[in-house]
Amino acid sequence: MSEAVLVLGGGPAGLSAAHALANAGQKVLLVEKADRLGGAPILSGYARLVPSGEWARDAIGGMVERVRAQPLIECLTDCTVAAFDGAPGDFALHLTNGTTHRVAAAVLCTGFTHFDSVNKPEWGFGTYPDVVTTTQVEQMMSSGKGVRCPSDGREPARVAILLCVGSRDRQIGREWCSKICCTVSANIAMEIREALPKCHVYIYYMDIRTFGLYEGTYYWESQEKYRVKYIKARIAEVTSDGKRLIVKGEDTLVKRPITIPFDMVVHAIGMDPNIDNLTIAAIFGVKLEKHGYLQKASSYSAMSGTTRPGVFVAGAATGPETIDDSIAQGQAAAMAVLGQMRAALRAAAE
Amino acid sequence: MPIHEKSLIRPESLLRQEKLVLDGVDVSGDWSTFIESRVVTDYNEQMEEEIAALPGGEFIHRCWQCGSCTNSCTVNAINPEFNPRYWIYLIRLGMEQELLRDKDIIWQCVSCNKCTYACPRDVMPEGVMKATAHWLELKGHTTPSPAMVFDEVFSDQVFATGKIEEGRLMRGFFARTGQKLTEDWFVRLIRGLVTRLPLGLLARLGWAAVRHPRTRGWRRRRQAMTDYVAEQQVMHRAALRLPPATERRR
Repeated sequence: MSEAVLVLGGGPAGLSAAHALANAGQKVLLVEKADRLGGAPILSGYARLVPSGEWARDAIGGMVERVRAQPLIECLTDCTVAAFDGAPGDFALHLTNGTTHRVAAAVLCTGFTHFDSVNKPEWGFGTYPDVVTTTQVEQMMSSGKGVRCPSDGREPARVAILLCVGSRDRQIGREWCSKICCTVSANIAMEIREALPKCHVYIYYMDIRTFGLYEGTYYWESQEKYRVKYIKARIAEVTSDGKRLIVKGEDTLVKRPITIPFDMVVHAIGMDPNIDNLTIAAIFGVKLEKHGYLQKASSYSAMSGTTRPGVFVAGAATGPETIDDSIAQGQAAAMAVLGQMRAALRAAAE
Repeated sequence: MPIHEKSLIRPESLLRQEKLVLDGVDVSGDWSTFIESRVVTDYNEQMEEEIAALPGGEFIHRCWQCGSCTNSCTVNAINPEFNPRYWIYLIRLGMEQELLRDKDIIWQCVSCNKCTYACPRDVMPEGVMKATAHWLELKGHTTPSPAMVFDEVFSDQVFATGKIEEGRLMRGFFARTGQKLTEDWFVRLIRGLVTRLPLGLLARLGWAAVRHPRTRGWRRRRQAMTDYVAEQQVMHRAALRLPPATERRR
């Protein structure tokens, strides 16, 4: 197995796939668009991860180090794919750095793009500095500066987290649940309450999807231990009275209009398909599913496959995904690649 | 009115315009002002903790608003305004003013405990109703109900003597609630008792009514009970951020 396998994308799924392939003795070419490995958790500066509670820089940083230390993995950053032709076992790969490689297979771990809240102008992002996204709050926490109002650096006394920003919204063509925002928001709410015990945190929801075991450790823990308040309302608009933000909506459980002042409003932003997916689909000759994510082959018969043989996929490239599941899918994709390569070897031997 | 029929338009937010002409159009009549911007400042952020500090309210934080309590409620079947699910929500969010709108029906809980057995989260809604009625009283939003007065007279007498003497209990209860002892039904009850009870028993009742006998060795037990009650009262008032009670219960 002298030929390498292309792993495209150096996030949790790509790091996992590259590590698993190299661990099994397979040469890997890991290509990353950004200037460093780690994907969204590192590039966007996530703080403590769900559900481990480990800091992203330690957990994902550890995966990066593991890949960097592996001699069978060649890492190329600041680099993308220009062209990709051939058949399973023998693809010609042209990179934007001008080099050409022969690869036996490709694993697309191209992830997602954070929703841009400017596309929901009624919720004030881009208009008021104290309207921020979950990603920004993660950065405030991971930088060690703590959660502060960007306008004047004060500690917020009241924080509202709006769920489903850029998810479950036909108005803007995003008819999917981004899966992790409820849990991440509950996690952020608890961290704010821990750091700023006097700060009241409200979560405005349509329904709460802290799925599986997160029910106890996030949904109920946030209420029972941290007294985070959940209000069933989709906020109509976020405005300002010049001093504080004003949040308007209807509390649907008590049928009462609400107009409440807040110091900070946090958008729990969803996961869009990677903004480059059309390019990726054209270059690799794979199809996208109707929402714009990479289309998966059948999980039952061709796990980790795409619509093109020899091209595999893992992680949030196929739809909103958790970090843990992305890592699992990376490993699954590695297994699928090795299976394809050994099947080819056996066929050649017969 | 059942909650799903509740209107956002409330009588107090209606403006009656007897004669209003805008741009030549007569728009006289009732105007709803519910869409007027009003920044909510009436939240009592401590309300959930306050209720949780009172006996029965301990598990209010578990509620997930499924409505099992209201659905199983005996009183709700008769009075759709009686909605434990709704009140629990108001308390958890601190909507004090909204809760006070219903202060005169919350005490109507009959403690049948159907909700206790229906609740999937073990909130003990019946206890929450008790705690809420207690909270309303302590905060001075409601006057003690006759049942509460009866309980107080009853327990005061137990604390004092370790015994219950019915005649004294009824006299105390009637006096505290402003009822006359000459109520027709009461007079007939007493007359019936006097004419039918054996003489020996009547004599003992009469003696007890005059002497107020105590349970033997009552002093120490009484001390333990009154200390406990006083301690609880101090805790409850502190949790509700009320000044210490001026009059200590005997």
